[in-house]
Amino acid sequence: MQMVKKSGIALIVAWFAILVLMPKQEFYYKLEESLAKHEIELNEEKIDEGFFSLGLHQVTVYFKGIPVATIEEMDLSTLLFYSSLELEGLHVDDSLKRMVPQETQKALLSHTIFSPLTVSVDAEGSFGGMTGVIDLHARKVHLDFNESKNIEMLKPQLKKGEKGWVYETSF
Amino acid sequence: MKHLFKPEVVKGLWSLLILLLVIKMAWFAVEVLWLPTIGVEHSEDKGAKALYYRVKLSPNEAAPPATTKKPVQIAGSIKDIKLLAIYNASDVTVVTVEYKRKTKVLAKGEEINGFVLEGAGSNYATFSKNAKTYQVNLLISTKGKESIKSAQPSTASASSENKVEGEVIDAGDHKIVDRSLLDHYAKNMDDIYKNIGIKEIKKGKDLEGFSISFIRRGSPFAKLGIQRGDVIKAINGQKIDSYNAAFDVYKNISNIDNLTLVIQRGKEEMELEYEVN
Repeated sequence: MQMVKKSGIALIVAWFAILVLMPKQEFYYKLEESLAKHEIELNEEKIDEGFFSLGLHQVTVYFKGIPVATIEEMDLSTLLFYSSLELEGLHVDDSLKRMVPQETQKALLSHTIFSPLTVSVDAEGSFGGMTGVIDLHARKVHLDFNESKNIEMLKPQLKKGEKGWVYETSF
Repeated sequence: MKHLFKPEVVKGLWSLLILLLVIKMAWFAVEVLWLPTIGVEHSEDKGAKALYYRVKLSPNEAAPPATTKKPVQIAGSIKDIKLLAIYNASDVTVVTVEYKRKTKVLAKGEEINGFVLEGAGSNYATFSKNAKTYQVNLLISTKGKESIKSAQPSTASASSENKVEGEVIDAGDHKIVDRSLLDHYAKNMDDIYKNIGIKEIKKGKDLEGFSISFIRRGSPFAKLGIQRGDVIKAINGQKIDSYNAAFDVYKNISNIDNLTLVIQRGKEEMELEYEVN
């Protein structure tokens, strides 16, 4: 019993230490490097490293050198068994407002080891509400626009489903 | 001698400290071996904006650009190719065509009857043969219930409703572009790519500029006097050597009164002037 207790404490301490001592900022730089290969660049005004998360403030997203969007707050966090990326105040550049919804108040992408090959997506914004799944195995994206509003510009790419408008693509 | 702490507690604490140290060392090794220490910084284009704008007080006496309009010959055999479907993603273009009653799926670069697939828009595909470009429109069956549609059928239908208003008028020494035409393209980016193809020019990994890969016959872009293969060097004094520079021009296109294009045609550099009215 004493051995089990000791092992339990060691495991919790190890888990806690792995997360707290993780070089989060450097991992974020690695992510930036990977995105840069696809000509996506992130420029942030401030980076806050927390115990379990990394917060980015006033992020400007560039695609092929063009500033396409700004994100007020971006939070990357992991507990090893659950990881998430939370975006707040995503504003798409005016020049693209005829192609994509301009405002996203909140978006959450989450991954859990209980479903390792899928990433859940939840978002709400000027387009209403949206939930969906990214299937990493099938390399497919499925998004349901549940309370769709102001999505006229997206409709050419959407299909009409039972619950509302659906966006599907593969990568 | 009496111990201040129980030996097993001290031993446990030491074990935990060693565990923490091992984890820290492991992360340090990961950091040194695989992780970058600085992030990717976006560098703003410098020197893209012209320091001055030329003001022309005398009429332009330069000869208008030689726009020797070569009639695009429609080879008899291109008519035999019918475009049935298009799949057009950012990194892959695949079309289904019918040729001699057989359907064939073509990827970009593949050929059929000597015609090489160059690209596709939402409702058409472009082929090249002997340095000439041909456009084949998507076949929409009018016979009955079934209609063949593209991968993005509603895009095509939605955009086709956006009729382009305005004209490009040749005024001899310069051309006059209707402002409504600019407004239309400023609001409908999709329509630009239906009429003109822009190709990157790269030197190694660095983007050097853009060239025109095709121009739709009869489109306002064709009337501007630009040709396939022209390299766009500058627009209104702004050097076009990055997407950002090109996008800057696009964003402000509704607010301009004059348009000056500097293009390179072969080895010759020429300036095309337009009045926006």
